[in-house]
Amino acid sequence: MSSYSKEELLNKVEELGLEFIHLQFTDIMGVMKSVSIMPHQLEKALDGKIMFDGSSIDGFVRIEESDMYLKPDLSTFTVFPWTNFQKEARLICDVYNVDGTPFEGCPRNTLKRIQGEAKDMGYIFEVGPECEFFMFQTDENGNPSFEAHDAASYFDFAPIDLGGSARNEMTMFLKQMGFKIETSHHEAAPGQHEIDFEYDDALTAADNIMTFKMVVRIIAQRHGLHATFMPKPKFGVNGSGMHLNMSLSSLDLNNAFYDENNELGLSNIAYNFLGGLLKHAKAYTAITNPTINSYKRLVPGYEAPVLIAWSPNNRSPLIRIPAERGAGTRIELRSPDPSANPYLALSAALKAGLDGIKNKIEPVKQVSSNVYEMGIDEIEKRGIERLPGNLHEALKELSKDEVIKSSLGDYAYERFLESASYEWNEYSKYISQWEIDRYLRKF
Amino acid sequence: MDNYKIIVADSDHKNREMICALLTSRGYQVYQSHDSGETLRTSRSLFPDLVIIDVNLIGINAFRTAGIIEEDKVSNVIFITNKVDPAFYDQLKKMNIFAYITKPINPEQLYQTVEFCINNVIKVNSLQLKIINLETELKNRKLIEKAKGILIKKLGISEDESYKHLRKKSMDLCIPIYKLAEKIIENYK
Repeated sequence: MSSYSKEELLNKVEELGLEFIHLQFTDIMGVMKSVSIMPHQLEKALDGKIMFDGSSIDGFVRIEESDMYLKPDLSTFTVFPWTNFQKEARLICDVYNVDGTPFEGCPRNTLKRIQGEAKDMGYIFEVGPECEFFMFQTDENGNPSFEAHDAASYFDFAPIDLGGSARNEMTMFLKQMGFKIETSHHEAAPGQHEIDFEYDDALTAADNIMTFKMVVRIIAQRHGLHATFMPKPKFGVNGSGMHLNMSLSSLDLNNAFYDENNELGLSNIAYNFLGGLLKHAKAYTAITNPTINSYKRLVPGYEAPVLIAWSPNNRSPLIRIPAERGAGTRIELRSPDPSANPYLALSAALKAGLDGIKNKIEPVKQVSSNVYEMGIDEIEKRGIERLPGNLHEALKELSKDEVIKSSLGDYAYERFLESASYEWNEYSKYISQWEIDRYLRKF
Repeated sequence: MDNYKIIVADSDHKNREMICALLTSRGYQVYQSHDSGETLRTSRSLFPDLVIIDVNLIGINAFRTAGIIEEDKVSNVIFITNKVDPAFYDQLKKMNIFAYITKPINPEQLYQTVEFCINNVIKVNSLQLKIINLETELKNRKLIEKAKGILIKKLGISEDESYKHLRKKSMDLCIPIYKLAEKIIENYK
């Protein structure tokens, strides 16, 4: 997306008659927050002087360290195209401390840091995300319901695909906002959809994922639907993943994963990156799958990965190598889900890959499709490991891996651990309907 | 009355049923919705001629719901209200039709307002379409004039010749003449 200078932006805002500008940033758990300002405050905002209370954001700081500054990234200025009445725009911001240093708990700063490490090694990290989501109708209380149609409106009209037309509108608005959409289609489960956008450098890709989620939610609401990025909203039906297509390019923009002389067309760098991703998979899963519900998706039978394995042609392993070569050579990580904080997920994946390159890690042998039909004993005999089975296990694995911990940095890691542990503790105390149905009469 | 499609959006069950009965007996095809989510879904499925929304509709604020319906050109909205105050007028001014129905509902007022709205909307829509066509035509003519000017200057030909040149070229390339003009203007920037 093109970038304006400070002067151009001030003029543009006046020219468009904007009523609000939203200064957006993301908290540790990946939730978008914003401070909304009026046009007369824009100059102050562009100078990075807008302050907010950090203690009001989950996982940021405790009370004593409250004041934080927002520094907008001018290249992210975007006008919301869906309303003619009240024109609004946004700027994505990095969070800074009062002393002018980047706040270590700001996930965007974290990704910038790891991107910097990659650049020092001579690489640019490029990511193309594939995001799935569900859209549900709402009942009379505005709560999402799993019903396929409204009871009252079942008669008379031809079946209109409400979700599909909402998705088409989302795609149209995203394009107006500068996105290059690759595909947009229905997914396997009823009410499920997918939109894939073109790859970009990691920071832009992560910004795009946050923007994308915002657009999906807003447009769904305008269609009387509720959009959710919950990884597994319904038992027995596919969950929603956020596959990440990743590649490294050299600083002169050649794909560093491609080697025409290799039998698979992959370079040593690609194999080492892959090796790093496989080696650290248990550790970064807590970050790419940070909710209790994430692990309900990572079960066999629904195209989501369970085993730490890779394959050039099989569709359901942890890592897949899509067939395209040349400039499009890439590695697809299939475990992340859209509840993940995109900045932290990309930081962890990149760090794992770079560690693979630094230490020349060779990946384990690739698997054929038969492995998914093997029994547990056979899988263990072959030394194929599994992803963590729940958030608690995932956090334990993360705590053992200094490389992935360092991708977050001490501060962000502590905050992340605190938030995620809280989720686990609360969940452990909760009595679910399943338990009542199963045990109340039996015991 | 013609078989127009109307959605009645009111969270009060009794009120909603009464209005539906009144309108159905008048010959309209009436649909109901109970909250803003349902109103949006039903409107987008039906593309009705009119949506009548009670200002106390549950869910997203009634005015925002109406705004979405009109902004996305799904239909036109009139409100049912029990209180007419300056704030309500401000909201009304943003709508396509400046009309409303007050409670308690008077059947004659309901019929007149609905007929007024549907028929005038048809007129306004056709006028809007004419305006859009005229604006497009004007914009295209300006583009062609500008392109002609460029050709006259660059090729040193007369106005007549430059227009003939544009016309022939657009036929050869099978693109509308204004599109060719756009390309010429862009190339010579």
